[in-house]
Amino acid sequence: MSIQQLVPLILLFPLIGGIINGIFGKKLPKALVGSLATLASTLSFATALMVFFHLNEPVKIHLFRMIDLEDLRLSASLLADNLSLWMVLIITGIGSLIHLFSMGYMKHDEGYSKFFTYLNLFIFAMLILVLGSNYFMLFFGWEGVGICSYFLIGFHYSDAEKGMLNGIAARKAFIMNRIGDLGLLIGLFLILSQFGTLEYQELANMVTVDKILGTPWMMFGITMCLFIGATGKSAQIPLFTWLPDAMAGPTPVSALIHAATMVTAGIFLVVRSNFFFEHAPMTQEIMLYIGLATSLVAAFIAMRQNDIKKVLAYSTVSQLGLLFVALGMGAYTAAIFHVTTHAFFKALLFLGSGSVIHAMSDEQDMRKMGGLRKKIPLTHLTFLIGTLAITGFPLLSGFFSKDEIVGHAFSHNVVIYGILMFSILLTAIYMFRMYFVVFFGSFRGTHEQEHHVHEGPASMTLPLVILAILSIFGGLLNLPGIWLKGQAHWLSHHLEHNTGGLNLIEAEHADNGITLMLMIIAVAVCLGALVVCYLVYGKKQNVPVADAELSGWQKISANKLYIDEIYNFLFVRPTEWLSVVGHKFIEIMFLNGIILGFAKGIGASGELVKKWQTGRVNWYILWMVGGIVGLIVYYLVKI
Amino acid sequence: MELLIIPSLFALAALVIPRNFMRYFGLAGGVTSAVVAIVHAVYYAPTAKYVSLFDPNWTSTFGLTYKMGYDGISLIMVVLTNVITLLILLSNFNKELASNKMFTAMVFFMQVALIGVFTSMDGLLFYIFWEITLIPVFLIALWFGAPGRKQALIKFFIYTFVGSLAMLLALMAIKTGICGNLPAASFAVEDLMAVQLSACSACWIFGGFLFAFAVKIPLFPFHTWQPDTYTNSPMAGTMLLSALMLKMALYGMIRWMIPLAPESLESYKLPIIILGTIGVVYAAILAIKQNDIKRTFAFASISHVGLIAAGIVLLNVDATMGVFVQMINHSLVAVGLFLAVDIIESRTGIRSMSELGGIAKQAPKFAFWFGVVALASISVPLTSGFIGEFLLIRGVYSYNWIIGLVIGSTLVYGAVYTLRAYQLSMYGPSKNFNFPDLTWNEWLVFFILMVLIVILGVYPQLVIDFVQPSVTRLFENIHSSKILVQ
Repeated sequence: MSIQQLVPLILLFPLIGGIINGIFGKKLPKALVGSLATLASTLSFATALMVFFHLNEPVKIHLFRMIDLEDLRLSASLLADNLSLWMVLIITGIGSLIHLFSMGYMKHDEGYSKFFTYLNLFIFAMLILVLGSNYFMLFFGWEGVGICSYFLIGFHYSDAEKGMLNGIAARKAFIMNRIGDLGLLIGLFLILSQFGTLEYQELANMVTVDKILGTPWMMFGITMCLFIGATGKSAQIPLFTWLPDAMAGPTPVSALIHAATMVTAGIFLVVRSNFFFEHAPMTQEIMLYIGLATSLVAAFIAMRQNDIKKVLAYSTVSQLGLLFVALGMGAYTAAIFHVTTHAFFKALLFLGSGSVIHAMSDEQDMRKMGGLRKKIPLTHLTFLIGTLAITGFPLLSGFFSKDEIVGHAFSHNVVIYGILMFSILLTAIYMFRMYFVVFFGSFRGTHEQEHHVHEGPASMTLPLVILAILSIFGGLLNLPGIWLKGQAHWLSHHLEHNTGGLNLIEAEHADNGITLMLMIIAVAVCLGALVVCYLVYGKKQNVPVADAELSGWQKISANKLYIDEIYNFLFVRPTEWLSVVGHKFIEIMFLNGIILGFAKGIGASGELVKKWQTGRVNWYILWMVGGIVGLIVYYLVKI
Repeated sequence: MELLIIPSLFALAALVIPRNFMRYFGLAGGVTSAVVAIVHAVYYAPTAKYVSLFDPNWTSTFGLTYKMGYDGISLIMVVLTNVITLLILLSNFNKELASNKMFTAMVFFMQVALIGVFTSMDGLLFYIFWEITLIPVFLIALWFGAPGRKQALIKFFIYTFVGSLAMLLALMAIKTGICGNLPAASFAVEDLMAVQLSACSACWIFGGFLFAFAVKIPLFPFHTWQPDTYTNSPMAGTMLLSALMLKMALYGMIRWMIPLAPESLESYKLPIIILGTIGVVYAAILAIKQNDIKRTFAFASISHVGLIAAGIVLLNVDATMGVFVQMINHSLVAVGLFLAVDIIESRTGIRSMSELGGIAKQAPKFAFWFGVVALASISVPLTSGFIGEFLLIRGVYSYNWIIGLVIGSTLVYGAVYTLRAYQLSMYGPSKNFNFPDLTWNEWLVFFILMVLIVILGVYPQLVIDFVQPSVTRLFENIHSSKILVQ
């Protein structure tokens, strides 16, 4: 089969899987439902691999025309190039592992088939997002993943205690994303008005080859709108508060959607549109600082969170911030590299936390855990690997991918480098803190929980092991050019090979000495945090205190910088107030009052005039004419 | 001509059919007229050609010509009318109401009047059918509505009646001539369009039409009759009002208001777009804190149509395609949402969202289908709502980017109130009422709605190919028959 036929197949498998499970899932045995969904995702992955090995040049596959108008032609078509296929491999690869994990994790859930339906449909929407050949298709996938995310966050909506709260978290996520989506939509209108097309290839050609550009303001507008879209989906300031709340969803969802794939859609969007961003230095600058601030704020909040999933959620926000710093410096391939390794170790950490939660009978507060090292050794080992990878422990995947971004920052601006390193230090501290509190010390849960602690079934441990291996060796994909000049940067070279406008930008510090120095600093940060956290939480067995006893910066961190409260005060409350007051005064008293007064006036005047008039009808018409005159009088005056 | 005759016969026959057969009879009538309309649509090659239905080729002394016919614009409205009527009959199938002869007769009566509105090619005939539609919808609400309906209905009747009279005056003005324009030869649409209006008369005539249509759509601030009337009408009445009756006004703007007085379009354009935008935002904000689920969706309807009205006056083919897709989407969504509201109300007796909740657990099928319609209502891609709003917002945005941005906020607000209503009623633990899941006819309505919504959402070109040539020709006629004042 040719690539032309294979690429649509990648999309088709999860769609078919989702439809079959959606219609027949309730009647089929659980094992079959789960296997079917996992198989669909795996087949997609296998097909993507086949395409991956045979793809030499970008292939565009036209499916059908969607809208064909005078000055608007939009078609449903796909674009397979090295960038989109790389994303497809991540999505379907990690996706398959998480499907497999869910088969064990969701075993006792009554919404089993519904869960796998959504999961398959999510994969489908995500694939549309990355495989589409134009921004219109991207927008379809973009909103599609938002919907799947909405349903999966609110998955346990009928829960007696948390049902409504889950629903509210889901709604918050959707609405915040919608704000970003509106920005993206306006961005599409701007691109259309400036370039007349939404096809990536045509746009890249216009901008990079023919040098057709808008005014600097136009390019700024386009890129800012795209970036606003990205801040929604990729949880950046100011639209990041939905992601921690999204942890209300089942843990595999957090791993797949809110860590490995969907939240990196914003990164993908910027990399895809790199040719625009290259001509909008102001947006790049804004992106850099927003990313930096997000990275720092999220890391700060994560310091005093005690819900194991919340820590990971803020860590994700922080890592995404780091990615936007990379994008702001134009280091697109470095960003995709970190997206890849982050997908490995963050999926691993989330699944690991899922395994912990599963073992602890749905307990998420790390203060009630402790000493799990010996009880669930495999989870412990893989979680440790994930923690080491994210903190940049030498030679693990995160070490290389972070180092590349940090290297860019160093040659860009030393102050930014310093702030970035501080945020990385915080990351190492809160990750090790969590690790030691959960796995070291003595068990602090109830007796029942202790009795029940157990390792999950093979379907849960196998994905952990695979992801752990990937987290260890993922760095090999894009080794730095320090010792092996020729073989280095495989992934970057691969991505730039046939992706529109993408060029490998090497950090200017290519000098071995400086690279080595930066690496040593990074290692020192990581090991320093490790030792301190071991002493505080591992050896002394300190347990985080209750939130009420905190003070100073710790209280602010535990309360998430009060950002939810601020947003409530600034946006939610005033809108609700407007809604109530508007209904009471403008709608009922004013507008409705006019009509009622009008009717009463007719009645009263009817009473008055009926002595010398034959009936009310004439009067009616007179009033009516008066109304029309009132409506039109403004125009009469004008003319 | 069979388009009109078939439902007329069904309306009359409904009065004598025995009660036991009534609902099957009603359904048969709905299916027959829907099939006839679809056959017409299939045979109508999208060439913008005009198909005459009835033309006695005779003008009465006061100018009435009785001309009826259709082009793509009219035909798609006729198909919409017949399909929606079928869905309304099907939604009521398991209810007491379906066995009522007056109810069934009134629904068919409404259908005749609507088809008359959409196929009249004579201004006076259009007005007559326009006024006739008031009778069945008023009677349905009066006979079968909620206890507090009387006051709401009086408000509704006065409001729309006054509006319609303004339109009659405008028609008279073109025919007889005011502010110095020559009188038209007859009320036939081509004769009316041929009249060269002075700026002053164009302004009056445009304004007269606008008032009639603004009340019916309803455009802010002429909307206050709408939430009360919607909430006090029975399900069928609400569906007729929102899915079909307000489309008459939108259709009227395209077919009558702009072509008859395009000289004034430029000066009315901005005010209409601004009123539409205010309506979009204002109704959306009011919808956020409503507690009555039906009232929430009534405000949602006001919010959505504001955007459509703004799209119409742009007089640009691309945006007008958005108008048609969105009109169809709005009808489908209105039927779906008000059916969902009625299912909730008839099973629990409650419409107050603070007392509802937990329905999804008891009725998962209903939760799914209600969810699909809710998603179409908030314009999620793959639904027709997205295509419609995409084209419309783009149109408004290219006209003025600030207004486009404000009107685009409907995407955000829509998600806020729709998801709130959905979650408050469906999510949470089960409450202490028994909620049986969907019956087959309710399921079928939702299923048909979803098929249409998704087809239009994935392949909107179906509608575009059907309407675009007629719209292009209509716009060309406007430009050629009038010397536009720039």
